[in-house]
Amino acid sequence: MLWLQLLVNGLETGCALGVVAISFSLIYATTKIFHVAHAGIYTLGGYLAWWLVTHGAPSVVALLGAVAACTAGGALIQSQLYARLERRRATHLVILIASLGTLAVMQNIIASVFTPNILQFPIPWAANVVALGGEVRLTWAQLLTIAVSLAAYAGVMWFAHYTILGKRIRAVASNPFLAQITRLQPQSVYVIVVAIGSAIVALPGVLVPLDLGLQPYGGITPLLTATIAMIAGGVGSITGAFVLSIVIAELQNLSLLVMPGEWSIGITFFIFVIFMLFRPTGLFAAR
Amino acid sequence: MLRKIAITLAVLTVGWMCGGAPHAMADDTIQFGAILPLTGPGGLIGTQQMRGIQFAVDQANAKGGVRGHKIEVLFEDNQAKPDQSILSFNKLTDLQHVAMVFTAYSGPSLALAPLATRKKVLLVNAGAQADKLATASPYLINTLPTIGDEIKVLAKYLTAEGKKNAAILYENDAAGISGRDDYVAYFPKAGGTILTQEPTQFGQTDFRPALLKLADAKPEVMLVSITAAALQMAQEYKQLGLKFTVAGTTFLQDPALVADPSSTGFVHTQIRIDAPPELAAAFKQKFSVDMEFFVRQYYNATQIVLTTLDKVLEEGKPVTGETMHDTLFQIRKFNGLIPLEFKSNTATVSIDVNEMRDGKDVTIKQLSAD
Repeated sequence: MLWLQLLVNGLETGCALGVVAISFSLIYATTKIFHVAHAGIYTLGGYLAWWLVTHGAPSVVALLGAVAACTAGGALIQSQLYARLERRRATHLVILIASLGTLAVMQNIIASVFTPNILQFPIPWAANVVALGGEVRLTWAQLLTIAVSLAAYAGVMWFAHYTILGKRIRAVASNPFLAQITRLQPQSVYVIVVAIGSAIVALPGVLVPLDLGLQPYGGITPLLTATIAMIAGGVGSITGAFVLSIVIAELQNLSLLVMPGEWSIGITFFIFVIFMLFRPTGLFAAR
Repeated sequence: MLRKIAITLAVLTVGWMCGGAPHAMADDTIQFGAILPLTGPGGLIGTQQMRGIQFAVDQANAKGGVRGHKIEVLFEDNQAKPDQSILSFNKLTDLQHVAMVFTAYSGPSLALAPLATRKKVLLVNAGAQADKLATASPYLINTLPTIGDEIKVLAKYLTAEGKKNAAILYENDAAGISGRDDYVAYFPKAGGTILTQEPTQFGQTDFRPALLKLADAKPEVMLVSITAAALQMAQEYKQLGLKFTVAGTTFLQDPALVADPSSTGFVHTQIRIDAPPELAAAFKQKFSVDMEFFVRQYYNATQIVLTTLDKVLEEGKPVTGETMHDTLFQIRKFNGLIPLEFKSNTATVSIDVNEMRDGKDVTIKQLSAD
């Protein structure tokens, strides 16, 4: 039952990627900033949780601590960097470069403080295996990633559609000029959105390394894949970003059934290039 | 006019201080270089290599140095990256003017080989084993056999044990591909069959898809050619409940992997290189850790370099990459931790087959590549 195990592994990877994608999508759709430093926040979350665990904090406290720190980190980047640059009428390209610089600084600080070696969480239960139906084997870390990711997706959907703040964010994302006139304070909303996105991305930032270990430069590949999922899913569509992340991860895993692993990433993204040619606005784009 | 002369003198002085200083410092200290992965996925092994070099140098300096010259090794961290290695090599050779540089890992060593040839700097490798290293540069000396020699031994052992159907897991870089090519070449020659093969990337920690695909071919043994994250690979192998034997070469000689319960039953070859008990005890007293395989390898390599340096100084030659290279081949036979002979750029020695058992790495057989 190789295909079934690959399918479930793909679901787990895709769910984690999906949370990165919806958090990035939330930020990009609202602020229009290509927030590359999001990869740094993702990595920071994992390292902070690891530090807390190695200093005796319970796992849940470590997770919540990482979420809180990432929330503050995201808010700081928006209020002290992006907002300042926008006030000085910096172009989006300048802000992108500033974001890239922030990512490089964060990665270097993390590598200096924690070393660039692969670090593992000292949480033995996370590596314990659960056999589902006797055929599919998943660790508790993987199961937790799936459960928390699905809950995060549902939570973001509820937040965006049923809370006043969520509606305010959607209003600002839809028309920032009108939002300014109607006193929705877009600049405050931007800070809140980046903070929320950073809090969300801390979840896979902690849970994925719980299974695969921590590396200072480990956030870039998930962010790039998540960005592609966001674009292919339709910019601004939370469901699109989440579903397409799972589709990409499944394609990468299941393609192993018919081709060597070295081709899976290339073929997967080739399929997406072809797809984008026919539907450049993305699968779930609003009509 | 005076101002021009003063500026010219200042420029000449700075130029002499930065670029013209000889490799032997004013106090007659002789400097060598070492470009090793001190951090990153290869950091654990790189640290062992650094300690092996430093331990040998400290011992030599404690005895008064080599013919009155103190020895200093300038360590550079390359994180096992070829591009970073080149920057470090240029810094060591252009600014510090070292005549000899220790290297490790196949990718970085292969990247440095043409530079060593051009600059006539002796490169000493005691850790990397890609087959291409044997002929990469006349100035690249390998104090351990290439991976091909180890794989001949491993193939001979595994097929004799009845494990004739194999799958290959390899890293998609110079060292990993070299190992894969050797498995493909030598395992069938020993009577085995390669069923399938899957690549991974250097530093990758999610091996599950590749392991699952390899397992689907139902091999009796998985031949591994990865140089990093072997511990993660072993843990995921265990989590997936896979039953085939995992076999590899010296690349699997990772203390963290040996200590982890998931590696029990893993088989690997390694070059026999033992440390005398008193030497091992002195090392442990200094660093509070055992004198592991790569410590011994680089300790041995440093002894070869220091023996060569002694001969160069004895003959009153200048300490350059050329004189070090020529003198090393003039000596040819070295009796350090293991007897070595350089018939070519690569030394040949006997090879052990080890099995990891409950946190220990136990030698179960000794074979020769011949």
